[in-house]
Amino acid sequence: MFELAIDGKITITLDAGEREVLGQLFDQLAQLLQELGAQETSDPLEIMLGMNGSTQISDDPALARLFPDGYSNDEHASADFRRFTEQDLRQQKIAALSDVRDTLENKQDSTSVNSQQAQSWLKAINDLRLVLGTRLEITQENDFDFDSDDPGVNLYNYLTYLQGTLIDSLS
Amino acid sequence: MSALPIEDIQVNTLIDVPWITLVWNDPINLMTYVTYVFQTYFGYDKPKAEKLMLDVHEKGRAVVSTGSREEMERDVAAMHSYGLWATLQKDV
Repeated sequence: MFELAIDGKITITLDAGEREVLGQLFDQLAQLLQELGAQETSDPLEIMLGMNGSTQISDDPALARLFPDGYSNDEHASADFRRFTEQDLRQQKIAALSDVRDTLENKQDSTSVNSQQAQSWLKAINDLRLVLGTRLEITQENDFDFDSDDPGVNLYNYLTYLQGTLIDSLS
Repeated sequence: MSALPIEDIQVNTLIDVPWITLVWNDPINLMTYVTYVFQTYFGYDKPKAEKLMLDVHEKGRAVVSTGSREEMERDVAAMHSYGLWATLQKDV
């Protein structure tokens, strides 16, 4: 969990089991981001100009949720937007993952994080919730059973709890 | 020198049709998180951020910013970096 200490620093407390589970989830997220990277074009000029993102939304619903279309009703503009922004967004997510791994590598039950690391944790946990929530098919239409004993649902609820404590510490 | 139809000039340069950034409802992002993002990124005070968040939740979407197309592209990219489901479009 995250707590705001009296000195204004945010403290993160995770036992060895939590650190291991989170480490595995972050690894899986990194792998998913790599899969997206493999779909981008490898044209050196396009890479240099930062316009080597793909032009179509991913077939994978979780990646589609992390990298949604930019325009409401304009496929062509969405394709251009994706081409110019996807690579940067992917890099931001990879950078956040690198920050949270640094925290985990401290291998301490309790450690303080600076404001940049806190933002990275916030975004990385949220990305995990988006991916897991999409995989569990949590939608606005269905009445999802959050009390289920399913391990995935337990994990999702844990991430929700963790993120809640972080938002409380930041607000 | 050919005369440029005045209507075209008006359409292209004089009338600045604003663009908007919309944030859409979704079943995963937490209400407190969405409020926090609106406060942090847009600098909105808590009452305004909460009102926008509730609009997203209850009406399915809310206009969170207005401006030029370039500005709205920046805002949408920022919302995506927070995992919010956002799009831009011309204000109609």
